[in-house]
Amino acid sequence: MVVATVVDTASLLKTVAASFAAGVGVTLVFSVAIYGATRFADFGREDRRFAAFVAGSVALLALAACAAVVVLAIVVMTSK
Amino acid sequence: MHTDVILVIVIITALAFDFTNGFHDTANVVATSISTGAAAPRVAIAYASLLNFAGAFLSLKVAATVGKDVVDAAVITPTIVFAGLIGAISWNLLTWYFGLPSSSSHALIGGVVGSAVAAVGTKAVLSDGLIGKVLAPAVIAPVVAFLVAGLAITAAYLTVGRLRPGPVTRGYRLGQVASGGLLALAHGTNDAQKTMGIITLALVANGNLSADHFDVPVWVIISSASAIALGTYSGGWRIIKTMGTRIIKMDAAQGFSAQGAGAAVILASSHYGFPLSTTHVISGGVMGAGAGKRLSAVRWGVAGNIILAWIVTLPAAAAIGAATYGLTRAFGTGATGPLIVTVIGLGLAAVAFVRRLRREAPVAA
Repeated sequence: MVVATVVDTASLLKTVAASFAAGVGVTLVFSVAIYGATRFADFGREDRRFAAFVAGSVALLALAACAAVVVLAIVVMTSK
Repeated sequence: MHTDVILVIVIITALAFDFTNGFHDTANVVATSISTGAAAPRVAIAYASLLNFAGAFLSLKVAATVGKDVVDAAVITPTIVFAGLIGAISWNLLTWYFGLPSSSSHALIGGVVGSAVAAVGTKAVLSDGLIGKVLAPAVIAPVVAFLVAGLAITAAYLTVGRLRPGPVTRGYRLGQVASGGLLALAHGTNDAQKTMGIITLALVANGNLSADHFDVPVWVIISSASAIALGTYSGGWRIIKTMGTRIIKMDAAQGFSAQGAGAAVILASSHYGFPLSTTHVISGGVMGAGAGKRLSAVRWGVAGNIILAWIVTLPAAAAIGAATYGLTRAFGTGATGPLIVTVIGLGLAAVAFVRRLRREAPVAA
């Protein structure tokens, strides 16, 4: 009970939530980027141009999302 | 005059602690990238030390916690800070000599709390800050890193598990350049700030800064950033090869997940001013990435050692900090005590280094 009153529960919960969102989210989105890039190469070899375009677009979007999360994290860290 | 001499000794000791912190943690930060083949050792270490330096400039919230929320700055003297630092460095040296896992961060906070209690009594300790901002996050953070890395690697395997392994491994190795960099940035942010907090506390205790308005001088930020970066650059060469595979044997996806989880937990905690053991968080991430693939892949004995180290480090460093304060005061209130303790400490450290190097010398076939 004493511990519960001295712990800044709100900040601790926000830390846990941010850790899960960033840690799991970035890995998942980066995995999607790898999936897209690998399928882009596969479809390219099979001469399936539209499918390759979609897969390549997914890879690029996912990479951009990862980069955006990293930039956002650093901006939040440096803000007062 | 003599308090200024003590202050100079405290600042040099704090920067030496910061250097040893970087030296000790090099393996934690870069081993994952090296063991999965994502980076060559020299490149990984140079890259990590640069980002350690940059990370120290990201935030000052952890420095504020260490400087004003753990012990009451109004009753602290530079000698108390000095004794606390010696307690932390001694514990780090002891655990390094005997090859035991430890946490520089817990040792630092334990050392300062111990010397403060020995000097002023328990009223010097701000128990709300100690429990709420140090102990509770210290327990929770490695568990969160474990769970985040476990979930992340599960998500990764579900997404790319059916693809050809070659391009997938190359992709995650490339990703590790970014995730490893973020981990080094996070390490610099959280760990360098602890030294900034301690030096600022000493400046407040010496009357150079006001206790009412906690403000870290720029020269303190730059010197702390430089010390941890130099320590990282020169440290841990011999243990890097074993560190990456000590807990689990990792593939590139696991390395990426572990580093991402560690960086996310440390950066988020730093933002809210929680000083963490970066060693424990990174170890938690590595174990989570291993358990996410196969529970038996994790060497659970190592996990047990880490928990034991967490329990023992704070009280042990506190006891050494308290004893150091007693020894220092035995020579009076002037600069003589800190000077004698520094000379004794340097002598013992030199003996420990020589004995350890002799013990580790390669045996001819």
